[in-house]
This record gives sequence, structure tokens and C-alpha cells, in this order.
Amino acid sequence: MIEFHLDPRSGVATYLQIVQQVKEALRLGTIDVGDQLPTVREVVADLAINPNTVAKAYRDLEREGLVVARQGRGTFVASTLASSSRRHHEHLRAQLERWIDEAESSGLDDESIRALISATLREKLGRRVA
Amino acid sequence: MSSPLVARALGKRFRREWGLRDCTLELPEGAIVGLAGPNAAGKSTLLALATGLLDPTEGSISVLGRDPLREPAVLAEIGFVAQGAPLYRGFTVAETIEFARRTNTGWDDAGLLAELDPRTRVGELSAGDRARLALALALGKRPRLLLLDEPFAGLDPLAGREFLQLLMDGVAETAATVVIASHVIADIERVCDHIVLLTGGGVRLEGNVEELLESHRILMGPRRPLGTIRGVKEILRERHSGRQLTLLVTTSGPIVDPSWTVDNVGLEELLLAYMAPERLPTPQPPEKVPLRWHG
Amino acid sequence: MAWVTWRQHRSQLLGGLALLVALAAAALGTDLPIRAAYHRDALSGCLPPSARSGCDIIVKHFQGEFDSWAAAVRGVAALPALAGLFVGAPLLARELEHGTHRFAWTQSITRRRWLLSKTSLLAAATIVAGAVLSLVVMWWRGPFDTLEGRMGPSGFDIEGLVVPAYALFALALGVLAGLLLRRTVAAMTVTLVVFAATRLAVLEFLRPHYLSPLHRTVIASDSGRHVGDWVLSDTLVDAGGRQISTAREDLAVLHAQHAGIDAQTYIVTLGWKRLISYQPAGRFWTFQLIEAGIYVGLAVAIVLTTLWFVRRNPT
Repeated sequence: MIEFHLDPRSGVATYLQIVQQVKEALRLGTIDVGDQLPTVREVVADLAINPNTVAKAYRDLEREGLVVARQGRGTFVASTLASSSRRHHEHLRAQLERWIDEAESSGLDDESIRALISATLREKLGRRVA
Repeated sequence: MSSPLVARALGKRFRREWGLRDCTLELPEGAIVGLAGPNAAGKSTLLALATGLLDPTEGSISVLGRDPLREPAVLAEIGFVAQGAPLYRGFTVAETIEFARRTNTGWDDAGLLAELDPRTRVGELSAGDRARLALALALGKRPRLLLLDEPFAGLDPLAGREFLQLLMDGVAETAATVVIASHVIADIERVCDHIVLLTGGGVRLEGNVEELLESHRILMGPRRPLGTIRGVKEILRERHSGRQLTLLVTTSGPIVDPSWTVDNVGLEELLLAYMAPERLPTPQPPEKVPLRWHG
Repeated sequence: MAWVTWRQHRSQLLGGLALLVALAAAALGTDLPIRAAYHRDALSGCLPPSARSGCDIIVKHFQGEFDSWAAAVRGVAALPALAGLFVGAPLLARELEHGTHRFAWTQSITRRRWLLSKTSLLAAATIVAGAVLSLVVMWWRGPFDTLEGRMGPSGFDIEGLVVPAYALFALALGVLAGLLLRRTVAAMTVTLVVFAATRLAVLEFLRPHYLSPLHRTVIASDSGRHVGDWVLSDTLVDAGGRQISTAREDLAVLHAQHAGIDAQTYIVTLGWKRLISYQPAGRFWTFQLIEAGIYVGLAVAIVLTTLWFVRRNPT
């Protein structure tokens, strides 16, 4: 059974921390397909966070295909990380390279490309980028 | 989906001073709402009006669709823990629970704080235990709306955490809408998804926490005269030290100006900024100010 | 709410019970010597209208023998106020003072029902206690009542229906005072003052007139008083029925002294009479009913006012 911990000062949104910790556990093999994730009630009674946050994290994980929620019985691990992430990563990497090519041909220099990426990352992911 | 707490131009005057004035609110159902603001901002007054402990001087308030003064039966669905968690000090824990059972319909005390010795007098409990007992009693009504007035005041960090755990567990079970009034934002930042900021008896800021954090940014850069900045809707605060200028702004889009370092705002910082009395006006369209050239 | 009322007021209720028990015990203990003396002096033979000669002295002696006890019993007239001071005043004042009303008034039970339940239960207890007290006093004062009657304030105020009625009034007064003043000590003070003032006012201005007083004219030397009647006024009037001022009376006495005659005899020869206005002993229960009705009516009005105010005048 996975146990979550929260770092409120990390600048990372709470629900994201939960998502990351689930993925971490999958990577390390702490949890495996078929294992049950802690119920929303168990998580909030332990961490004292908003139940909606936990629900959102679990929904995100479900959308990524990592877990599946069974009505009335809980949320269970559906697939390991390796298989789904590698596929995603190759696909994303290729997209990024195409985008950089497009930006360069539009006339943006290196500095501007970096600034645009930083700004957009901050907007979308809420993380400070050096 | 109806709002569990609606206030329209709500005002309450105490002799000569207004505790609350022209307060208009509509809280989202199922949210955990932080009611923030300095002392004497009107937080306790608002909660007292919501529970019928005070009558409005002007305007109206309705909880779960009903006026708490005209239809006091609505209190059966509202859990309330007043400031200081008032309970009968001479009662034992068991007697307190019995009191709650007998003055409420639809009572469910399954496993109510099993770890408290039922024969202890409430006056001998620690502040943390008393607060949790009061909360457990409020939750025992299976309320749809839960109102807490400064629940963390007087609690050490561990007691505060235990209180929050019990609260969140209760919310996960009942799906109640919660309003937590606290002048210490850090206490509630952890759990709130909606915020209402009161200052001087009025609503200063209100909204979904995520949206508020998304629509505000801190800009840092070299000190210079300000014109319009692309992506900035309004400058809320301006601070300069030496040659650095720091702005707190609301955004209308992504800010890509490379001359500014853009950073997110924390909730506490944001609320503090709105609480400060001086707010700078929106920047006017740039005048033709001659720039000073060196050399 | 029965359990809640009991739990919150049990020390008051038990205290009241202890007081009643103590008083009953004292009554029992002191009754024996009284009845013994009554029989020893054959005072049953001194009751009107069959009073023997010399009864005057015997009766006075009997009364003097137990005067201190009788005086103590008259103190019972103050006991109904305790219902207001120690049960009524703290009821709302203590909740408001300690802030526990923010707990009690936000449960499912409405404020009005909460107050009405509590007040009704405590009122019932108060009436029972008052009735018991009244019965104990009536039993104890039996011998004295036969000799001096109970129409006068020293008997009327501590017997019959009025005792529970006073207590009920005091209770209601205390509750309202507690709501308006929000402080227990202040509420207790105000309750006591208003209770005492009301009792005095009713006794002084209303009671004499529940029914029209009767009048009796007797010759000046006759006391004209019948045992058991409540004498309202006893004045000298001349042959024409006009009241004689103190100055005129003094003059007559002076005149008699100069002439060397007994003042009383002289007054009789002047044709002066005594006009006595009184309420007869036979009206005791009628008056009790009227006065109890007044106080109960006041109590009900106060309770209704409190119920209205508690909703309109929250924290």
C-alpha cells in the first residue's frame, strides 16, 4: 500500500505531487497491477487535504491509463509505467523537435525560443524555470 | 446545483459601527471555502448571521435556500463550531454527546471520537481535544453545510493537524460544503479550493483558488517608467528597492516580455497584497514623457 | 429536553429539594412543643366565638412563647424569590455570559422550543416546590391561624395558592432579566428588586380592593376587631360620620385629662365611634385565587415576552 507525503513548499500543486508519487511507486515496483490505491477518505484523513484534490489526482491517473476506478470498491492500478510512458515520450520528443524547427524558421533566435518555452511552461505547469 | 450560502448586500451594525457592510456572496456547493481576513474584518459576524445568531441590519442571507431566522429548522442541516469551540465545561464527554443527540434530529455518532474517555469533563480536555469534540458533534448532524469560526486559534500545530484530519475525513464522508474562517491563511491554504477575503466589513476578493493563482503573477525587473505590458491587465502593487521593481499584476494572457522575470504568487502573498489598504491605480496609457539620455 | 433540563439544572433542583426537606424537618421538629403547649393551655377553648374570659392573656402568652419561631416562618415569604434568583436568572444569562448559546442555539431544536421546554419543566418543578412549601407552612401554622387568622399579610403571603404563584412569577422574571441583561449577577439583582417591588405594590394597592372592603362601626371603647379579619383602617369618626383628625383627638384626650375623666369614656360620651374597614376572614380563598391569578397571569405574560424576544434579540 502506498503512503503519500506532501511538501507544501515545493511549489508543485498537491494533486500533481500525488500523481508523481504514484508514478514513482510504479517505477520502483512498490505497487503493481491489481494493487489498490488508498481510498480518498484514507488519504485525506492522513494528509489533511481537500478530497477534491485526491479525486482529481486519481482522475488524471485514470486518464493516463495507469489506474482504473471500480465503482464502490476503490481505485486499482491498471498498468505499469514503463509501457505507457515510453510510447508517450518518443511521440512527444518528435513533436518538440518539429516545433523547434518551426520556431527557427519563423525567425526566432535561441534566446527568444527559450523565453517562449519558459513562459509557456510556467503558464501551463506552474513551475519556476531557471 | 444551488448555492449553500447566498448573501445579498448583507450588513450588520453594532451600535455605531458596521461589522459587515454590503456583503454579496454566492458560495459554490461542495467547496471548501476559506474565509480570510484580519481580525474584526467581519468573518465571525458573517458566520453568526448565517446561523441565525444575529439578525441582519440590511440585506439578506440564505443558507441551504432558507433564511436562518425565519426558518430555524434549517439548522438541523448546518454544523457550526463557534470561536473557541464553546461547550458546557461541567459536562462530561459522554454527557456532551448525549446533549447533541437529544437536541438534534438525524443524529449519527458512529465511532465518535472513540479515543476520548467519555467520563472526562469537557473543562479538563486539552484545547485540541475540545476542538475535535466540537467538530465531531457538528459532523454528527450529517450537515450539508459546515461553518467553522477560527478553529485553529489556540491549537498547537499537532492539534491543528489532527483537527484538519478529522475535518477532511468528515468532508470526504458527507460531501458537505465547508466554510473555515481564519485570520491565519497558512492554516487553511492546504485545503481550500475557494477563497473569500473580507476586510473592514466588506468582500475584498472572492474566487476559486486555482483561478486566482492562475490570473495573478509577480513581475520582477529593472526599475523603469511603466507603460502597458503585454499580458498584464492591471497592476495591483508596485514595490521598488534600489534598482529593482516588483509588480503584482492580474493577467489577461501569457506574459512573454523578456525584460521581466515572471513568477507565480502564493495564496498567502496574494491575500496579503489585497489586504493592504493602499492599492495603486491602473496604469494610464503612456504619456509622452521625455526620457533622460545620458551622454 | 427533559434530560437536558435536568442535567443543566440538577444542582439547583437538588438544592431546592434539600431546602424543602430541611424546612419540613424543622417544621416537624418544632411542631411537637407547639401542639403540646396548645393542649396544655386548652387554647381550643379560646377560639371565637366561644372565648372564655382570661383567654386574652393566655393567647398572648402562647404567642409570645413561640414568637421567634413564628417570626422565622414569616421569612418564608422571601423564599419564592429564590426560584427567580437561582433558577430563572441563570437560565439564559449563564448561556449568554459563557457563550454556550452559540452551541445550544445552533442545534436542530429551535431556540423557542428549547426555551419553552426548559421553562415549562422548571415551572412545573417550581409550582410543585411552592405547593409543598405552602402545605408545610399551612400545617405548621394551624394553631396560630385558629387564634389570629391568616387574612393579614403575615399569614396570607405564606399559605395557600399564592406561594407557588409568587415562585412562578419570580422564575419568569428571572428568565427575562437574564435574556435582557446577559449577566447572571445583574439579572439576579434586578429580579430581586422587581420581585420585591411588585409584591409590595400588589399588597399595598391591589389586595385591599379585590372585593369591596366591609365596614363596621363600633363604640370607641370596643376594639371592634374580629379574629381573623384583615383590618385595613381603623379610624375615629364623630357622630356625623366625619373622620376625626389626630389634632382633634389629642385635644379631646387633653380635655379629658384636665377634667380628670378617663379618655376612652370621654370619647364615648362625645358620641364618637370607631369606623373599621376590613376584609373578613371568610374571603381568604377568594382572595388567594385572585392574587394567585394575578401573579400567574404576570408570569405567563413575561414568558410570552421572553419567547418573542429570544428570537428577535439574538446574540
